[in-house]
Amino acid sequence: MAEIIRMPEVLAGTAEAAVQTWNVGMGDVLAQGAKLAEIETEKAVVEYIAETSGTVGRLLVAEGQNVAVGEPIVVLVAEGEGDAEIDAALAAAGVTVSPAPGAAATASPTAPEVPVPAPVSVVAPVRRFVSPLVRRLAQESDVDLGSLTGSGPHGRIVRRDLEKYLELRAAELSRSAQEAAMPSPAAPLDPVVSASGDNVGYVDVPLDRMRKAIANRLTLSKSTVPHFYLTADCRVDELLALRARVNETAVRRVSVNDFVLKAAAAALVEVPEANSIWNTDSIRRFDRVDIAVAVAVDGGLTTPVLRDVARTPLSEVSASVADLAERARAGKLRQHELEGGSFAVSNLGMYGTASFSAILNPPQAGILAVGAAQKRPVVDAEDVLSVATVMTVTLSADHRVLDGAVAAQWLAAFQRRIENPLSILI
Amino acid sequence: MPKRTKLETGVDWIELSTTDSDWQAADPDLLGTMLAELHLIRAFEETVLELAGEGLVHGPAHSSIGQEGGAVGSIVGLRSSDGVNGSHRGHHQFLAKALTHVSGGVIDPANAVDAATQEVLQRTLAEILGLAQGYCRGRGGSMHLQWFEAGALGTNAIVGGGAPLAAGNAWAQKHSASSSRHDESSDLTINYFGDGAAQIGSVLESLNLAAAWKLPVAYFIENNLYAVSTRADEVTADTRFSVRGQGFGVPSWRVDGMDPLAVHLATEEAAALMRAGGGPTVIEAEVYRFFHQNGSFPGSAFGYRTKDEEAEWGARDPLQLVARKMVERGLIDDAGVAALREEAQRAMKDASAELVEVDPDRPGKRRIKPGLWPSPDFVNVGVRGDASELEGLPSAPDADVATRPIKFVDAIAQLMDRRMELDPRIVVMGEDVHRLNGGTNGATKGLVQKYGEGRVLGTPISENAFMGLAGGLALDGRYRPVVEFMYPDFMWVAADQVFNQVGKARHMFGGDNPVPLVLRTKVAIGSGYGSQHLMDPAGIFATSPGWRIVAPSNAADYVGLMNAALALEDPVLVIEHVDLYGVADEVPEGDLDYVIPPGSAAVRREGSEVTVISYLSMVKHALEAIDLTGVDGELIDLRWLDRASIDWDTIGASIQKTNAVLIVEQGAQGTSYGAWLADEIQRRYFDWLDQPVARVTGEEASPSISKVLERAAIARTEEVVAGLEAVRAGFGG
Repeated sequence: MAEIIRMPEVLAGTAEAAVQTWNVGMGDVLAQGAKLAEIETEKAVVEYIAETSGTVGRLLVAEGQNVAVGEPIVVLVAEGEGDAEIDAALAAAGVTVSPAPGAAATASPTAPEVPVPAPVSVVAPVRRFVSPLVRRLAQESDVDLGSLTGSGPHGRIVRRDLEKYLELRAAELSRSAQEAAMPSPAAPLDPVVSASGDNVGYVDVPLDRMRKAIANRLTLSKSTVPHFYLTADCRVDELLALRARVNETAVRRVSVNDFVLKAAAAALVEVPEANSIWNTDSIRRFDRVDIAVAVAVDGGLTTPVLRDVARTPLSEVSASVADLAERARAGKLRQHELEGGSFAVSNLGMYGTASFSAILNPPQAGILAVGAAQKRPVVDAEDVLSVATVMTVTLSADHRVLDGAVAAQWLAAFQRRIENPLSILI
Repeated sequence: MPKRTKLETGVDWIELSTTDSDWQAADPDLLGTMLAELHLIRAFEETVLELAGEGLVHGPAHSSIGQEGGAVGSIVGLRSSDGVNGSHRGHHQFLAKALTHVSGGVIDPANAVDAATQEVLQRTLAEILGLAQGYCRGRGGSMHLQWFEAGALGTNAIVGGGAPLAAGNAWAQKHSASSSRHDESSDLTINYFGDGAAQIGSVLESLNLAAAWKLPVAYFIENNLYAVSTRADEVTADTRFSVRGQGFGVPSWRVDGMDPLAVHLATEEAAALMRAGGGPTVIEAEVYRFFHQNGSFPGSAFGYRTKDEEAEWGARDPLQLVARKMVERGLIDDAGVAALREEAQRAMKDASAELVEVDPDRPGKRRIKPGLWPSPDFVNVGVRGDASELEGLPSAPDADVATRPIKFVDAIAQLMDRRMELDPRIVVMGEDVHRLNGGTNGATKGLVQKYGEGRVLGTPISENAFMGLAGGLALDGRYRPVVEFMYPDFMWVAADQVFNQVGKARHMFGGDNPVPLVLRTKVAIGSGYGSQHLMDPAGIFATSPGWRIVAPSNAADYVGLMNAALALEDPVLVIEHVDLYGVADEVPEGDLDYVIPPGSAAVRREGSEVTVISYLSMVKHALEAIDLTGVDGELIDLRWLDRASIDWDTIGASIQKTNAVLIVEQGAQGTSYGAWLADEIQRRYFDWLDQPVARVTGEEASPSISKVLERAAIARTEEVVAGLEAVRAGFGG
């Protein structure tokens, strides 16, 4: 008798779950107690152990496909049973969806009833639903729709999504253009000076496009992305010493921030879950580490993205950052240099800021706010009080992507690197 | 024991046959003309069959060989201003009418073909071959032959389809009699059809209507004994089809159709009655087609009749009869007859030679001369007119002009009064439009009192007949019929006349002859009249060629749209709604003469988030729904609904702004209007759409009588609210 196995309720109150990985394939003989699948919910991934034995007759859901708890996911059959028995069992259970045998397991495109996503990889080529209007406008505006999040039905990218995106991009571009046109201190927009009757004067500074973009983007981020914050005090005496030695022989001076970038990249490699962004109906996990660097420019800031930081030598990182910063201030960054990245670093240490927390720049899921390296009293493991150079860093994380434990792992990894800086040079 | 009295109809039913003295007395010119026409038609039909045999006639070639006597005998004495129309087998009637017209009614059999005759033969053949030089530019072919100038009103491929149209032509003739270029007597119309059509509804309805209104129309039954292969005695109890006249009070003649003189004499008697105002007549002529329904094989080859029967009838060939009688009187000799035959054949050979040539690719075969086909880009020309007739008419007053209050339905009646006063061509007809103080809804209030029953016609409950009668009137052109269907669903009863005849006539007959006709009807959704009365006809008319459609949402629009409808040379459906009749509305001060031309949608509310497209009473519901939801909808009141008249400029500009569309209508899904519009929008504006075209309609079911089920079946404000919410979700709002 064909037996239907249903999606288990992994946690109380869980409405739906997905088979993250099938541990069996069509025709596999399954013993009681064998591992059937890894079930993924919003909160956990658990192994699902077969409670009965049998042969896998039909996989009903594809990997990654969310189904309601209680929905059939696989049919086990006895010796000599086949499709007829499976269909009968499913019909008896009132299940109307009956994909071709093996469809889910082989991701065959001939099984129309069950949408089968392509094999899961770090960057899944998921079908993106885009309205015809947006498709056309995106082509005209040279927008990679992969960087947009759809708010329409089924995650469809609709006009409003594109408009928000274009507004931001236009702000960035206009700022670049403006700066390119005016390399000297930007001519300020005429402020409106006013004075009320009781001589309390004020100035209304008109918003330029960058200011509007910063306002819109960060308001949106702060109000829609669930931020949480972790702080660590890093001892950087060794780092500073190492930096001094490096700079003795370096062609160009390496900054503390260059080390921070390398340490952050190494931590992202060590904790790959953190190298991810929110993608509406999935988490997009990258296999390369791209980090945005906040650069203050006249009238605002911009965030060029440094590529493949983990595999780039420190000296080259340093040179790239300097180049990007210089071109950012000159308004000569190109659009593609402003796109992408899963993580960002913002450093106000040069201003003497002890510590601060930063607002995420979507879709990046993390931003590290770096304060000044300051001499502070510290108590070591043997309760000895001493003076050390300490740099406070604060990680802002997107809780949709990173949970507290992962963020903490990342921060610990970062701290380990920054406090043992030789590992950065290796 | 009941008292039993045998009733009589008191209506003449005459069998007429000729005697020798009739042949002796017959005008030699009449006999000569008949002989010439018979030979020309015979040679013509032989040529058609020859070309059909070579595969050069696309579609059927319904030969009239053997039946020429009925057509020639009845037509030879007609005026050019008399009309004839006929059926799928109509070459002989068309030719007889055209030849009589160009010859002035007299043809010398010794010199039967002159340039005008030759042109008739060639252009008729060209039409049958589907060539541009044909009378209908090749559109009509064998079954749709029309030449108004000659009084050939158009043959018809729908069995019985021409009967109501003939009645309409006769109505125009009767009411124009005093201004005709002849004497005071009326012109007349003959509608030809076969035994197979003698029991179809449109013929019987038309007989009744023509008799009731005493119209000068003859229903001429060419009884050739077989409807394709079905014998007359299989389909009717009395195979003397002229018996129909008895049931409708129509004097009738029965005559041997193989004797053209007998047919002529019977027609003369009938014509005298008709021209004098005596009403319609029936003439039944028994004839025989020597071949099968179409093509060049005899019926016996198909097994439904015998070779003996065919031989017997063949011996009664009308060509031979007339020739023999003329030889007997010394009016012609055998050599003269043979010469006439040769002349006719030569004329047809010449005509063919102008149209077909040796095919260079297929030795021994012929082909149509390639340059003679119509251009493919002619395909849609003349589905309707170009509306240029509206140029120069007053446009709608500005929005800030003073208005006066008026009930919507009174605006209809006042407008019709205004138009009828200024335009004597306008004739109103429909069920009860002359009674009940303005018909069932009051839309014709006061008109009959002012203009009389001659212009406000209460019709029998025969939608097919009075719609077709109006169609015939419109084709004639001297009158402007305004037809009322009490409920839109009745269009199905009249479907042949509405869609096959009125809608297609202009295009089918070449695109030049307009069909100015207005059809008014009211959507009664919500009135409890149930499944067979509560449709919205817009969708059906919008997907049928030829019709224009207006659907006013307010009285001021009604004025401008109805004025345009009455001025246009096209058939226009004017849709009203019972919900609007009682509305306290307003129209501009001053004369109700302004016109809202095609392509004039109105933006009732500007908005940014969705283009809401609606018409008629749903405009108000859409506005309410927009207010209720707060969705920033741009509401377009279409006003003109058909493919040719819809305002794409306004729709397009709005869609390019909002990137979303909601089409709002009230009626059932299946016949809904929005389906074609949604299709057209997604093709025209695909790259401007941010979500699928959304629609509000009723349900699949036709609305029931039960109040609850009726409400559940239709759309009102609540359904539009749901539609707007769906659109809102669609734009990520």
